[in-house]
Amino acid sequence: MENAWLIPLFPLVSFVILLLIGKQLKERSAYVGILATFVSLVFSIVVLFQRFFEPTYSAKFNWLTIGDLHITAGFEVNQLNALMLFIVSLVSFLVHTYSKGYMHGDERFSVFYVYLGLFTFAMLGLVISPNLLQTYIFWELVGLGSFLLIGFYFYKEEAKAAAKKAFIMTRIGDVGLFIGMILLFWQTKSFEYSEIFKAVNAGQVSGTMITLTAILIFVGAVGKSGQFPLHSWLPDAMEGPTPVSALIHAATMVAAGVYLVAALFPLFLASKTALLTIAIIGAFTAIFAASIGLVQTDIKRVLAYSTVSQLGYMMFALGSAGYVAGVFHLMTHAFFKALLFLAAGSVIHAVGGNQDIEKMGGLWKKLKLTGPLFLIGTLAISGVPLLSGFFSKDEILAAAWEGGHPILFLLALIAAFFTAFYMFRLFFLVFTGEFRGKDEKHVHESPGSMTFPMIVLGVLAIVGGYVNTPWFGSYLGDWLVQGNAKLGSGHAEGPVWIQLAATLFSLGGSFFAWLIYGKRSVSRDWLSGKGGILHTILLNKYYIDEFYQMTIVAISKGISYLFRFIDVFLVEGLVKLVTSIIQGLGKLGAKLQSGQVQTYGAVAFLGLAVLVVIFALTGGYLR
Amino acid sequence: MNLHSILSILVFSPLAGIVVLAFVPKQAEKICKLVGVLFTLPALFLSLAIYFHYLAGKNLADFSVTHSWIQFRGFNVQEPVFSVAYELGINGFQLLLVVLTAVVATLSAIGAVRFVKKEWKGYFMLFLLLETGMLGVFTAENLILFFIFFEVTLIPTFFLIGKWGYFEKEKAAFSFLLYNGFGSAILLIVIMILFAKTGTTNIEMLRKIVADPSDPISGSLKLGLLISLLIAFGVKLPIFPLHSWMLRVHVQAPPSVVMIHSGILLKIGAYGLIRFGMGIFPEQFKMLATLIAVLGVMNLLCGAFLAFIQTDFKMVLAYSSISHMGIVLMGMAAMNQTGVQGAIFQVISHGLISALLFFIVGVLYERTDTSFIENLGGLAKGMPLAAGFLLAAGMASLGLPGMSGFVSEFMAFMGLFKTLPWLAAVGTIGIIMTAAYVLRAVLGMTFGQAHREFTGVFDLKGVEFIPVLVLVLLIVLIGVFPSVLSSPLHSALETILVGLGG
Amino acid sequence: MSSVPASAFLALALILFCIGLYGALTKRNTVIVLISIELMLNAVNINLVTFSKYGLNPSITGQVFTLFAMAVGAAEAAVGLAILMSVYRNKKTVHIDEMDEMKN
Repeated sequence: MENAWLIPLFPLVSFVILLLIGKQLKERSAYVGILATFVSLVFSIVVLFQRFFEPTYSAKFNWLTIGDLHITAGFEVNQLNALMLFIVSLVSFLVHTYSKGYMHGDERFSVFYVYLGLFTFAMLGLVISPNLLQTYIFWELVGLGSFLLIGFYFYKEEAKAAAKKAFIMTRIGDVGLFIGMILLFWQTKSFEYSEIFKAVNAGQVSGTMITLTAILIFVGAVGKSGQFPLHSWLPDAMEGPTPVSALIHAATMVAAGVYLVAALFPLFLASKTALLTIAIIGAFTAIFAASIGLVQTDIKRVLAYSTVSQLGYMMFALGSAGYVAGVFHLMTHAFFKALLFLAAGSVIHAVGGNQDIEKMGGLWKKLKLTGPLFLIGTLAISGVPLLSGFFSKDEILAAAWEGGHPILFLLALIAAFFTAFYMFRLFFLVFTGEFRGKDEKHVHESPGSMTFPMIVLGVLAIVGGYVNTPWFGSYLGDWLVQGNAKLGSGHAEGPVWIQLAATLFSLGGSFFAWLIYGKRSVSRDWLSGKGGILHTILLNKYYIDEFYQMTIVAISKGISYLFRFIDVFLVEGLVKLVTSIIQGLGKLGAKLQSGQVQTYGAVAFLGLAVLVVIFALTGGYLR
Repeated sequence: MNLHSILSILVFSPLAGIVVLAFVPKQAEKICKLVGVLFTLPALFLSLAIYFHYLAGKNLADFSVTHSWIQFRGFNVQEPVFSVAYELGINGFQLLLVVLTAVVATLSAIGAVRFVKKEWKGYFMLFLLLETGMLGVFTAENLILFFIFFEVTLIPTFFLIGKWGYFEKEKAAFSFLLYNGFGSAILLIVIMILFAKTGTTNIEMLRKIVADPSDPISGSLKLGLLISLLIAFGVKLPIFPLHSWMLRVHVQAPPSVVMIHSGILLKIGAYGLIRFGMGIFPEQFKMLATLIAVLGVMNLLCGAFLAFIQTDFKMVLAYSSISHMGIVLMGMAAMNQTGVQGAIFQVISHGLISALLFFIVGVLYERTDTSFIENLGGLAKGMPLAAGFLLAAGMASLGLPGMSGFVSEFMAFMGLFKTLPWLAAVGTIGIIMTAAYVLRAVLGMTFGQAHREFTGVFDLKGVEFIPVLVLVLLIVLIGVFPSVLSSPLHSALETILVGLGG
Repeated sequence: MSSVPASAFLALALILFCIGLYGALTKRNTVIVLISIELMLNAVNINLVTFSKYGLNPSITGQVFTLFAMAVGAAEAAVGLAILMSVYRNKKTVHIDEMDEMKN
């Protein structure tokens, strides 16, 4: 574990190498990236296993000295870090492999791998940071990586807008984190997580301050994890290449917000208000995004809203003090959502770049591998029993019940219903029925480099949940809270009916979707026709973007023009005034120049006389 | 070599270039350019030598030099009543600025090789004179000497803008001279009052005299002097309502001059405020801290919001400079080690970043004949390298961690959050707006579809890589290892902050 | 010998100077103005000589200085008259209020 700091460095090396000679390597760049992430993955697995048997390891050195303040940098391997290292490097490795097939033939192939390397480096750096400042640094770098990858197709106006939006919206959240971090520093005199927790537990920080900083830090998580009201960048981020969506906008970066809350969990536990805020925002986001997901027609956008909704779930779990539940769902979600995105990428690849599900259909026969894998992902995310999503969702619901938020609990259940519905809607529209697009002959299964990662993820999406089940024991949960009783128990005990209810709701959603889109015994227009206005509102994502456009953007434009008014008219006007006064004085002076030598002489003499009088009166000095 | 003479050689070495250039015929363009660039190198090497000498643990005080220079005697008195000595010296803070000056000057000279289109001989003679002035400003230990060097920077800049600039160059040059002349007149008055009251213009002595409880200056006069200094250096920095001259200069001056102007000359304002304002009048500075913080936040926000709606990329950068100087003011106003160190970091970091940005602007303008955002667009296709570096520079400017902008912004805000948290919180809006305007401008120029076909557009090449790469590397170096700046600053800051009692 | 007090010399110088000043500022004829200037010059010379005799540190310096001043005054008168001659040739006037070429 002493060498865990090497893990982020391999992708960095890949980044540097490809930046320098990527042009020459062309498509061989992929091997550099794949190799680097593979080594990282191996190291991560080793570290994870070591962490089972050894205690937390951390190391640090002085990064910056300000007078007596020593700000350190370093790394730490605790349970959460080790798990995250494994998830990130695994998904990153798989995406690196997958991209080799997906990006084949792109003229900026090596650039793509450069960005991937940078992103992976930043994300791995983020998860081993032992202090808030370092976390913030990598947090922003992750944002940069995401920005670059979203804007990869820089010539598309949509990609440009999406990249800009992603960066600015997450930055709004980051500012919250920034303020919270600094306020916390002045309260505890340290950025180190361990020091902060010590100070908080010792009661050195006042209650209001804890709540304030916790909520500010949560604002950062809101921005990064696409929680309401800073969620709208995430669906737009689908302008990036699909592997990017799988890597960043499903498994890693967006989970960083959840990770941050989990990493600072003792701080949040110290403030009931902060926890409640998180729970409410999380539950609301879960149902809010799921409802939008019901009607979207872009395959990636449906998945994106599903991601937002699932992240809301995780936040909800953390807000209900379900530490284990949140982290557990983070892990299983990483597996099945990455799988779904990669499968969606495979579908898009197969139909030649089209993303509209209305123009797909009947692909089950053509895509012998992708189809079943997509189905596995769908089942897992819907929470159908025996797959990973079932266990983690169950854990969340149990934690919520224990946390005592019955209304939020109900919201989460309905969201589970929605999730099952829109996922199966997606599945049936894409894979069953008749092909509705053009060029059916060109539809083909993806190459091995793309199917291999999907198979790995598919297996994990099935078995990933068994590390923490109510039936066979909660290994993961017990391990996560080991040595830190503050984090709660390893497993949330809920009544059995919760499991049944969850199953019922998810199966109900699936069945409903099957009725409409699979069997078609219910007309598709039935729903949209009934709730005409509601349907339009959902289709337009509650007009949130328009609302922001009309308020925040317009206000900042307004302020800008106000300042310009001040700048151009007041400041420049003042300058004009001063210059014209001086010019006026000059003209007045010029008039005095009559050219009459004798007048000049008289004035000069008068001046001399005045000086002499003053001299005589004061005796030489002005005091 | 005698250590004491190094500083004098450092400061006056560019003058040797002027002498050499005087013997080069006007038509020999190549030689003019070569000499111009070559004679910026001695200062660069010497300043780096001093830096490494410092890192090796030597004492910077070894370099200070004192000669008697100007003396006014009374009629019947033998010892001089007023004496001005030729005193050069260097501490950690000055050292950093000298290194920055030497680096940016060399890179700007390289840039001038490409951007300047006529009369290289005259250009480089003035340029080298300007460099001497800047180096002198940062090493002078005496207010009179400081003032003389300060004036030496004004005159060459005036001619450089007025002769080699763009369409409205004369107007820009005049407003430059008028504003700065106004500022330096106030500065001169302050210096004279201090001189008359205390009989010395040595900065160290002044600090001691003013700190002494029995000093001859009354408290209200000190406050008045400090406010005058604030105005004098506020013009240079510039502080918000005093800024309109620098917009014109940024737009009209040739890019290589703007590199110097935005990179170094604006920093004289910050240097003066920290060294003289805060150094000599700490008590009074404390009284004004809130005002200065408000000015800083105003600068930050006004600059950012105004940059958001500009159509000319040069104007965006000009307002961005104003905005970033706001951070310097905020850091100073924090009056603690963190904030002041942040302010100084910001001075250095902005010097590098704006030099980089203006170099790239120069390159783009040379190729496309425009710097309007809407006329550009889609440049990433034709000029991927330039677009990439522009994006990197933009990221540095918006304070991306891992680059120098972040460290300085972070420390300045951290300092201010300790003393005036509400103001600092208002200031954070500036962080968001910075991201918004930088991305709007940079993406507008490089991303998207090309609006028109540019003829003869080619990417960065040859000698153009030197400034870009050096600056990017330095920016990243400071961002990743901020201790390269913080260790020299340590003792210098202690002396400044001793007066603040904290 | 020294029966005449210094103040008498100074009063004489003052009167001479005032006459000269009056003439220089009011007369229209440039020749008269030049003569008035000579008067002022000589008033100053009287002062110099007075102080060389009665001043704080009596010495010959003041008188030597007066000799210089007379020499310079003579030269100046010559130059002044020469300029006046050429102005007259050009403008056909010796009136000082018509000589305002410097203004424009």
